[in-house]
Amino acid sequence: MASYLARRLLLMLPTLVGITFLVFMLVALSPGGIGAGLRFAGGQMEASKRAQQEAYLEDRYGLDDPAVVQYARWLGRISPIKIGPSDLVAPDGETIRPPRETKPPPMWAWFAPKLPSPAAAVRAEGVAPADRASAYRRAAADYATVRAASIAANAVLQQALAEYARSIGRPDAVSPKGKIRASRLASQTPDRSSPAWPAAERAANAALAAYAAASDARARLRAAFDAGPYPKSGVAILPGVRLAWPDLGVSFSRGRPVLDLIGRALPVTLLLNLLAFPIIYLIAIPSGMLAATRRGSWFDAASGALFVALWSIPTVWAGVLAIGFLANDQYLGLFPVTGLHDPAAQAATFLPSTHNGRWQPGYLLDTLWHLALPVSCLVYGGFAVLAKQTRAAMLDNFNADYVRTAKAKGVAGRDIVIHHVFRNSLLPLITMFVTVFPATLAGSVVIESVFSIPGMGSLILDAINLRDRELILANTLMVAAVNLLALLLADVLYALADPRVSYA
Amino acid sequence: MHNRFGLKDALVLVVLLGVVLSLWLAMFQKDRQWTEVQRMSQRLSEIESSLGRLQAGSDAAGIGERLGRIESALASGVRVAGSAGSTGSAASSGLGGRDESWARPGVPVIWGEPWGWVNDPRKQPGFVEGGEFCESMEGQPPKILPFLSQDVYGRRVSDRVCEPLGDYDPADLSKFRGVLAEAWQMDPAGLWLRVKINPRARFSDGQPVTAEDVRFTFMDFINNPQIDAARVRATTDMIANVSVLGDLVAEFTFKESNYSNRDAAMNNYVLPKHFYGALTPAQINKATGLLMGSGPFRVASLDPERQWAPPEDVVLVRNERYWGAHRPTLERLRFKVIRDELSRLTAYRNGEADMTTPLAPQFVRVSKEPGWDQANQSFNWINMRSGYSFIAWQCGPRNGKLTPFADRRVRLAMTHALDRERMVREVWEGTGVVATQPANPVSPAADPTIKPWPYDLDRARALLAEAGWTDRNGDKVIENERGDPFTFEFTYATGGEVAERIARYVQGQAALVGIRCTLNAVDWSIYADLLQSRNFDSIVLSWQANAPESDPSQIYHSKSIKDQGDNFVQWANPEADRLIDAGRRETDAAKRMAIWHELHRLIHQEQPYTFVRIQPWLRFVKRGIGNVQAYPKGLEVPEFCRVGAVPAPPG
Repeated sequence: MASYLARRLLLMLPTLVGITFLVFMLVALSPGGIGAGLRFAGGQMEASKRAQQEAYLEDRYGLDDPAVVQYARWLGRISPIKIGPSDLVAPDGETIRPPRETKPPPMWAWFAPKLPSPAAAVRAEGVAPADRASAYRRAAADYATVRAASIAANAVLQQALAEYARSIGRPDAVSPKGKIRASRLASQTPDRSSPAWPAAERAANAALAAYAAASDARARLRAAFDAGPYPKSGVAILPGVRLAWPDLGVSFSRGRPVLDLIGRALPVTLLLNLLAFPIIYLIAIPSGMLAATRRGSWFDAASGALFVALWSIPTVWAGVLAIGFLANDQYLGLFPVTGLHDPAAQAATFLPSTHNGRWQPGYLLDTLWHLALPVSCLVYGGFAVLAKQTRAAMLDNFNADYVRTAKAKGVAGRDIVIHHVFRNSLLPLITMFVTVFPATLAGSVVIESVFSIPGMGSLILDAINLRDRELILANTLMVAAVNLLALLLADVLYALADPRVSYA
Repeated sequence: MHNRFGLKDALVLVVLLGVVLSLWLAMFQKDRQWTEVQRMSQRLSEIESSLGRLQAGSDAAGIGERLGRIESALASGVRVAGSAGSTGSAASSGLGGRDESWARPGVPVIWGEPWGWVNDPRKQPGFVEGGEFCESMEGQPPKILPFLSQDVYGRRVSDRVCEPLGDYDPADLSKFRGVLAEAWQMDPAGLWLRVKINPRARFSDGQPVTAEDVRFTFMDFINNPQIDAARVRATTDMIANVSVLGDLVAEFTFKESNYSNRDAAMNNYVLPKHFYGALTPAQINKATGLLMGSGPFRVASLDPERQWAPPEDVVLVRNERYWGAHRPTLERLRFKVIRDELSRLTAYRNGEADMTTPLAPQFVRVSKEPGWDQANQSFNWINMRSGYSFIAWQCGPRNGKLTPFADRRVRLAMTHALDRERMVREVWEGTGVVATQPANPVSPAADPTIKPWPYDLDRARALLAEAGWTDRNGDKVIENERGDPFTFEFTYATGGEVAERIARYVQGQAALVGIRCTLNAVDWSIYADLLQSRNFDSIVLSWQANAPESDPSQIYHSKSIKDQGDNFVQWANPEADRLIDAGRRETDAAKRMAIWHELHRLIHQEQPYTFVRIQPWLRFVKRGIGNVQAYPKGLEVPEFCRVGAVPAPPG
């Protein structure tokens, strides 16, 4: 069993990588590509400013690299095993990575014999940690400034080169996004007589100077980083290999750590589902049992018809009707329209109480009252499948030999149903729960948007619409991992429940 | 086989019961602590409130206000009797005996009219001091930090908390008034601006607003590439430097002369250095609710551990120590996010919000309900932030080939062929007005003499014929001399009913004048790509506005054609370029407006866009909220008040 478990768990890793890679490539290849939402939110802006700002954002979120590189970088960050120079952890919990390279200006070989090499920076040894930390902060701020300048200068050079490429009749060397395709021009000797050449040369000189400044600053920052201003993250297990927490990154559509966003949305979705599931099970299973024991009776027909009818009502429609009639003061006005709590409930006690002689429902009841409509919308469609499944499983078992034997030896009908038939029919229901539950982590987009509930559904929908790489990947990873674990759990439960199954 | 209830089971049961009971008791204990904390925080806010009242004067017509009145009297030339001795040196210290020693000599000083209420809420019938105002928002701001939050919702919140140096008068957009700045000087050549900060200005923690805060805001905060404020950085990059010349005097220098320099410098928030300077860039980027300024409201908690984070309602409390002339009468502002439009309206009806933004069909239908006006106020007006919808025609080449719209007569014919009055009536249920030019009617940049082109199919056909497009083979589709039929592609975004209706209407109208129009519905996320690669014949879009005047060079100047600029219709007109360049350099407002008027007349003649509709603001507000005025600048929430019965505060 242990080796089976280990094998399955290890197999999960390539499966997870495969799933996330597939999803990532789907996003990357979709129209607009990764970060499409980020690009569009700019409003009017001068072309040169927009190019510089875009270059800054692309660099900030690593959008200017090929999709595969972006994926590999993400994989490196979420991997708990880190190889190479280790990250540092600042006292406020911020992870500090080794300084990134600055990209050399495009087509620099046309304008300079070699790239400027960074001046050697002095390593600060034996300085107090506090001083090292402040030296690091200063160096980081310096590098950020000159690096941003270098990126902006490169963007200007891009534009000048695109102009030049057009002027020499090579528009094919300019991508539709206005970037120069270096490989198509690299073999050529530049045409210095072109009217666009002087502007390109000026831009190139500026870009080379900015690059030189940036690589100097980077060398200084690298030295400050190597001096170890903060403790290293994780624990070393081998030389050069450390174990550290996976980092899910920062969502660029919301500018917040992905973990925070999921941490806020997941409990809401879980709360909804944890309320909905027991209700579904408590109604559907007894109905299914009753329908099986009284097969062909009016109850069997009526409950079956009712559940299937409920199952076929679209949630959007039911939600809108619920708001329009049950929550609207013009009609019944029994329930609140939106949100999870009344503003006053934050200040109220947890349990119902009387305050200044007035009864108040308290936080718990208020929350339940707010959840009543969304939970009913989540619940009503779930009866049919479960009740039918229970009924079918029970009927199967009724015809089994052991039931006949039990009947023959005179066991009471009630005992047969509850102790024998129901127990055996529970198995498929448990495995069904295990496979259905992970899907609910993804939340219900429809219910969440109709009732303004800030759960996982709306989070994922926004992430997809805005092509938010970090958020999509983190969600995919989470849902995929839970799914795989649930499948494993189902298999293990089979082995525990059914002696005929063994993984030895 | 039966299990007997043994000792072990009894033990387990006892332990279980014990756990449940202690949980129960812990809840009660927690509750008692909670009530205690509530009581204490209430007392604290009372103390704070009385302190604030002490500071602002004992009653509403307090010392602060009297001071303000004295100052404005001084500004209008009244001399203080005892200062006769200083009148001799008035020539050196400026007019009205005001100290102008801080200013550059020879350049006139503008003493801004101090900021205050346009309409006094206390004069409202049934005025009640205090109370809460709850506004529903259509989208969730992920953060409310100034300059880092990029959506309109975050801005709605930060506008109440942070103040700029100067701002436009809500009722008169041609007037620019001082908020934190008491006076300023603008270089006639437009290359520098010197401001003198009001010595009374205080941040919400009581610290004075200084020139160093101004420098910090622009140089160390916005201009810090480690902080995620790339957008604001790009719009303020004309500011070369901010230097501190004294405690309250700062000077901006600009890279080039441009009329918008003043707004970039003066109409951005000023942030407290002592608060934001103490945070690392990583903390600022990660923060969601660390919003601090000098405005009339403040966030309840500035503790990084207890800051606001979505999806909670944003709650702002009155800044009891507000330094300005008028402390708001409302005690609290609440912003509640409701994304679904039906839920939003229902929540408003049920009284879960005091103000909501309905959709155009909702506005028209609901505001006609009998009895609606007794409990609600409906507002439908055009203001400074009203944008315009338009249909853009590709005036340049698409994929290397010119479209028929390269000809001005064809574009004009298209405008004549579209009944924009009817579009406003049927697509937007009659809300809004027909647009004629890039500026909206409340903006001084709009030329009121421009009238919309009439809907006239005959004129459209004549213009097309003039451009060489006639039906040459009797197939009801017009052709040019080479016999190519006139076909074009109309691009719109999927998912919106409005865009869908416009597309169908355009297609139908085009058929009436013999043009075949194919529809191209694309996902919103690739709109940007289409615009940047100029890969469309005609596209429907809208521009939003956020100031009375917007720089036309990004949209209409020919230099914005290349490098993915916003002149995506590739409209190049030397006369327009000349006017735009002249207007941008002109710092005199009246002269500049004349230039913009001329430019707008030219655009009207040229029709690179068919201007369709000015989007109005639609709001429903409960009658329980008083002093709601639809100003040309928008709404002035700090002037709102409660009228009639105010619900008791919770707890």
